[in-house]
Amino acid sequence: MYLEEEIKNLSLETASAETTAQLTKIEAKYLGRNGVLNLKFNQLSKSDKSKLGKDFNAQKQKAVRLIDDRQTKLDRIEENESFDITIPGILPPIGHLHLVTQAIKEITDIFSKIGFIRRRYPEIDTDWYAAEGLNIPKDHPARDDQETFYVSENLVLTPHTSNGQLREMEIMKTPPIKMINIGKTYRRQIDVSHTPMFHQFEGLLIDKDINITHLIGVGDYFVQNYFGIGRRVRLRPHHFQFTEPSFEIDITCGICDGSGKLKDNEKCRLCKSGWVELGGAGMVHPNVLKNGGINSKKYSGFAFGWGVERVLSMKYNLPDIRNIYTTDLRILNQF
Amino acid sequence: MDIKIPDSTLRKYLDTQATPEKIAEALTLCGPSVDRLHWLAGDYVYDIEVITNRVDTASAFGIAREAAAILPLFGIKAKLINSPYDIKPSALPERKGAKFPLDVTINNEDLIPHFAAIVLDRLTVKDSPKEISHQLELSGVRPLNNLIDITNYLTLCFGQPVHIFDYDKIIGHKMILRESRSGESMITLDGKTHQLKGGDIVIEDGGGNLIDLCGIMGGKLSEVDERTKRAVLFVQTYNPKKIRRTSLYTQERTLASQIFEKQPDSRLVIPTLIEGVNLLVKLATAHVAGESIEYYFNKSISRTIKLDLKWLDRLIGHEFNFQTTSSILSNLGFAVKKISTTSLEVVVPSWRHHDIAIPEDLAEEIARVYGYFRLESKLPITANLSVATDQLLDWEYQAKKYLSDLGFTEIFNYSLVGKELFEKAFMASDHSITLTNPLSSEFESMRRSLIPSLLMDLERNQGKIDQPIKIFELSNIYSPKEHPILAIATQSLDFRHTKGFIEALLLSLHLSNISFVPVNEEQDPWQKNQTGEIYSDKHFIGIMGAIKPKVKTSFNLNGDVYIANLDFQIVSDLANTNHTYGPVSEYPDMIEDITVQSSLSLGKILQLIKQTSKLITKVFYQTSMKDKHTFTIHFNDSKRNLTQDRVNKIKESLLKTTQKE
Repeated sequence: MYLEEEIKNLSLETASAETTAQLTKIEAKYLGRNGVLNLKFNQLSKSDKSKLGKDFNAQKQKAVRLIDDRQTKLDRIEENESFDITIPGILPPIGHLHLVTQAIKEITDIFSKIGFIRRRYPEIDTDWYAAEGLNIPKDHPARDDQETFYVSENLVLTPHTSNGQLREMEIMKTPPIKMINIGKTYRRQIDVSHTPMFHQFEGLLIDKDINITHLIGVGDYFVQNYFGIGRRVRLRPHHFQFTEPSFEIDITCGICDGSGKLKDNEKCRLCKSGWVELGGAGMVHPNVLKNGGINSKKYSGFAFGWGVERVLSMKYNLPDIRNIYTTDLRILNQF
Repeated sequence: MDIKIPDSTLRKYLDTQATPEKIAEALTLCGPSVDRLHWLAGDYVYDIEVITNRVDTASAFGIAREAAAILPLFGIKAKLINSPYDIKPSALPERKGAKFPLDVTINNEDLIPHFAAIVLDRLTVKDSPKEISHQLELSGVRPLNNLIDITNYLTLCFGQPVHIFDYDKIIGHKMILRESRSGESMITLDGKTHQLKGGDIVIEDGGGNLIDLCGIMGGKLSEVDERTKRAVLFVQTYNPKKIRRTSLYTQERTLASQIFEKQPDSRLVIPTLIEGVNLLVKLATAHVAGESIEYYFNKSISRTIKLDLKWLDRLIGHEFNFQTTSSILSNLGFAVKKISTTSLEVVVPSWRHHDIAIPEDLAEEIARVYGYFRLESKLPITANLSVATDQLLDWEYQAKKYLSDLGFTEIFNYSLVGKELFEKAFMASDHSITLTNPLSSEFESMRRSLIPSLLMDLERNQGKIDQPIKIFELSNIYSPKEHPILAIATQSLDFRHTKGFIEALLLSLHLSNISFVPVNEEQDPWQKNQTGEIYSDKHFIGIMGAIKPKVKTSFNLNGDVYIANLDFQIVSDLANTNHTYGPVSEYPDMIEDITVQSSLSLGKILQLIKQTSKLITKVFYQTSMKDKHTFTIHFNDSKRNLTQDRVNKIKESLLKTTQKE
């Protein structure tokens, strides 16, 4: 039979192939474009080719079958081999974004969905932007609450992000103004709920006919998105020089949902009253609008300034806010 | 300012069936916040936060007035009773027995808007009755004797500080109220000696002694004691700025000073004096021994505000009916007159003159007493489509995210640093921004570089966590302008891997043509031979290098330490997302390993190889043996299959150019 020798060799070689890779090589050796079978056949004269063409094709098919059969066998062996899939994977190095960065990103995204533009204003600013322009005159007792760090008589480390209010009004010139200013702020305090450096996010919305219900709406929208569906805000009276009226904003406690009581009628230990304090807010004071060059007869607005670390510690029940500023990688690598 | 009001004191001025819990809840929602309500020795006590502009609520009567206005909105009847404003001048007892003179001189009317005093005789000093001492104790004041206790009790009830002097200790029975002179000194009741800066309000007696640091604390010299027979009862209001200044620098933040600096109502001065005299008559056998001496320099004129009701509804986002609006205001003591169907004329009561000046103030009163919690929640539809966020903020997050994806941990260090940290890193410690009132020397300046903080972070973590350590911080520096810097530090990671991370980061931000150029000058903390300036095209973007051994020793650091310090403002300016599409070659690469011999730097050799031919599409450095360097080079022609001949020609010229140099 034509090519008998070659097919015999092929048969021996396939039988001894232990892996698919070996078998693929054998296939290329015999059946490739320049493989043994083709080379042999191409050496024939034209007339021999037409004479032996039929045999050649039959032998070629036989070769294919031999290889396929072996492949089927090899597949079966491989499929039945034992393999321990509990072997640990090889991990790429895993890094960690700081909790504050994660929170700022989350807050930015939440507010950007309803059209608040992220801003950043100076951390070191003049007394005008940080206090006087915000309707806090020199020697005013309201300055007591601020615990401000001074660089000089006229230059401070901003104790809040509210310095961005006047700066935003100056840049935008006419409403609508809709910003979320996130930045570093500083106060002369250090204890379980204060670090001398922290971050605030300052919302400012000024337009025609902006009223208190809009502040409540934006507050509800934020807490539902940040803390979870069902959470809501409540406003209580307060006083800030740069807003009128001014509010303290509470949110419903995540444990007892605002009732102050647990299922067994016990007092909720986290909040005591059903509400936890979020931060201050208010309707922008007409003097502040005036200082920012905005006509307070035509436009009204609200502003709020809340602590990034504050919302973080509320969300994750962190007992000591100073832990956020640890440099211990064993802690930072958990986030 | 926090005060404690016993429930029993509150109910002397508030007639209501409301429980203390309900009162606390209603006040918190609509008025002064009750931080805590607690049961103490047979009475409830409200812990109340008095906000700075509402000194009129710093008393039992003030809280009762708020509660009487607020509780009706909760459907609970409440009535304000025993108002001190109803005390008539005729309620002052007449003089009985001998008359004792008191000569008062007031040098500067601006210091004391309202002054009242009266001399009392035949006093008996003893303990106060249980009822008064108990209420004082609950409010956090230590009872001393009936005279002192009565003054404190008046403050608790009316929020008006009161002082009492021993009449016989006032030399010449003379009081000169004046500003202090710089360098004068006096001893206050707490035994402290104060060196006065001048400009403080003080009283000098006939002997030239200072007997009162007005509005802050009485002087030791005229203190009442168990032998006191005659006394001067003393009620005033003072210039608030003067009081605040003195109280701050003497660090005497007394209750009296905290009230006086917030402008209590002058109209309470006389009623308080009369109530005080009556209490002293009743509890200390006092006999009036002279006329009451009164000066009223600064009679506040009445203030009227026009309130547009349509405007009110718009600002609050709620439609109020006239009835609600006017009853809220009148319950708070405002006089309301309707001038049209849409506007009111509102007269501000004397105790609110300092905090109610504009219609917005009235809007606050109406909305809060009505209850903010009753208002609707609405999302505003305002949009501003033509404003975009500063790209810097987006790139910052992208860079941080990318580094954390590469296995780096982000750290936030305080911007506030001390000199020592910078000296430890052998870096200049003369910061341009230094605080005048730092918390401590550790937090006294705004840092000019992030590097010392990162070295400290490595020191703190070394030995606690597996090496290599890879950290970064992206924060502003202050020199003195605020400027964003991205600082990246590695420990126990070699130069090539650290550099690879930096290059990968810059590539991810699509910066073009990144190159590293050796630095020319020696500068701490960098080790010069392993430090380079980083460029993108011609733009300098930062430095990367090894930290000097002496700096590592200073921070006790072992192993390689590399830091990259990138000017992130420039990185952000150069970063882009303007991707352009480039076609992919249909033909396969030819790949060859080539070894060149050259004394040039690898960077230069790589550059020369790439310049040799456009058909060289990729070059990978493999290894070096002395001055022999091996590269894997990819050749590709996007128009046709490459032949070995063409590749060989390129290789030849490549070897020539690299060896020639």
